[in-house]
Amino acid sequence: MKVGVVGAGVMGLSTAYFLSKSGIDVTVFEQKYLLYGASGRNSGGVSPMVDREELIPFALESLRLYDTLPSEVNFNFLFRKNGYIKLASDEGDAEKIREGVSVLRRFGISSKVISPEEVKEIIPDFNPDSAVLASYCREGGVIFPWPVVWGLARGCRENGVEIRTEARVEKIERNGSRFTVHVNGEKYEFDFVVNSAGAWSNEVSRMVGIEQNNMIIKEEVCVTESIKPYINPYIYDITSGLYVTQTARGEIIGGITGKSVDRIDTSSTVEFAVRYAKGVTRMIPKLKGLAMLRQWAGVYDEGRDGLPVVGFTEIDGFVQANGLGKHRGMMIAPALGKELAKLIERGENSAIKKFDPQRF
Amino acid sequence: MVKERKIVCRCEDLTEEEIVHAIEEGYSDLESLKRYTGATTGACQGKGCLMHVVRILSQKTGKSPDEIGITTQRPPVNPVPLYILSEGDVE
Ligand SMILES: Cc1cc2nc3c(=O)[nH]c(=O)nc-3n(C[C@H](O)[C@H](O)[C@H](O)COP(=O)(O)OP(=O)(O)OC[C@H]3O[C@@H](n4cnc5c(N)ncnc54)[C@H](O)[C@@H]3O)c2cc1C
Ligand code: FES
Repeated sequence: MKVGVVGAGVMGLSTAYFLSKSGIDVTVFEQKYLLYGASGRNSGGVSPMVDREELIPFALESLRLYDTLPSEVNFNFLFRKNGYIKLASDEGDAEKIREGVSVLRRFGISSKVISPEEVKEIIPDFNPDSAVLASYCREGGVIFPWPVVWGLARGCRENGVEIRTEARVEKIERNGSRFTVHVNGEKYEFDFVVNSAGAWSNEVSRMVGIEQNNMIIKEEVCVTESIKPYINPYIYDITSGLYVTQTARGEIIGGITGKSVDRIDTSSTVEFAVRYAKGVTRMIPKLKGLAMLRQWAGVYDEGRDGLPVVGFTEIDGFVQANGLGKHRGMMIAPALGKELAKLIERGENSAIKKFDPQRF
Repeated sequence: MVKERKIVCRCEDLTEEEIVHAIEEGYSDLESLKRYTGATTGACQGKGCLMHVVRILSQKTGKSPDEIGITTQRPPVNPVPLYILSEGDVE
């Protein structure tokens, strides 16, 4: 069995890694370089506090994998496990915070509703007037996405996976029971093609005649200069979408969750810089004096009903591995990749039935 | 003899040897190399080291500096304090 994977983000590489662990022959194609996609541009917040209940088991399993994979692939993911805080800055969202905590409790995960004053006990310079309610979960924190991608790539290569960069898949042809994939004027034959092209997944689906219509979301982020450890947990305001934390390098990284766009666009805007600066200095006023060093943008996709799109399609052998969604791709991809690999190997896997591409 | 430590990137404290090592590990295009090593991403945002990194990459890979290209300039070009940005207008 030969599998071709389109897109070397965290989803494509996780799938390739688990397939290759079972001895399957895999080739991964990346149109640019590793880290070009959202997996190289995100802020690395990972937590079981994911916003859809269906995804909690995958977030938990991914957190477990983030613990065990580094030694398996011999690469440090720089995972800072200092917890995750969600804030609400209006009453409606405060209710969501309470609900979120009771759902987590049902899964046996310890998390709690806390007041803005209690947030201040965790982050001394937090402005308690910037929120009405919060929740805190000790599990999770911040992972550095680059070593996750490099580490998975290294694990893949050790298992014999070929990863081709600067290798854009241009055309996919059905060829009897197999596929012919065209890349840089060369042709490759596969039994399965996995579409893990993130925001480009709609385009790749179109190559086999599937109109997928995943939502495309653009999101902007920035970093300031480095300072000594100052913000430990990952903080995410679900009302404004603003999030902030500190990287392993000491930079304060933060952004605002993205908006759906018609076309792929990774331009940075002054509007974002201003909006972020206003929000973050209200949340943590002492950040005022820090300078913004770099800003950038990334694009990702989300299934039309808000859930990932993972599994077999009406075209035998063409497999979806996309639509991971807002602020949670890094949280769920390793576990989804692992389950998808099982589906491809065995032909069925009830664990990911909810994400069936044919549900629409 | 103590090996000479040729510093390439002062902000991130990187030696020529470290850059060469990363290229040999396969991070042999500029975008990957800068992310893997941190070169050009320090306080000066590469003003002090980009040309050195391009030179080393060119020597190791045989590509011309033009083929290697210049990495994407990410705004702001000069660091701007958040309190100044927060004074800006948005609708
Ligand atoms: C600013 C920002 C912040 C975020 N913060 C978080 C966070 O804190 N926590 C979290 O869990 N998630 C976060 N996310 C979301 C997360 O980054 C994504 O969900 C995740 O990286 C998606 O992974 P992917 O593998 O599906 O897509 P990608 O990483 O985008 O990978 C797809 C790859 O496919 C390649 N490709 C496309 N078309 C082709 C083709 N035709 N041929 C070959 N290759 C192709 C692309 O170049 C790309 O590299 C954030 C995203 C952004 C943009
Ligand atoms: S010298 Fe390399 S970033 Fe400043």
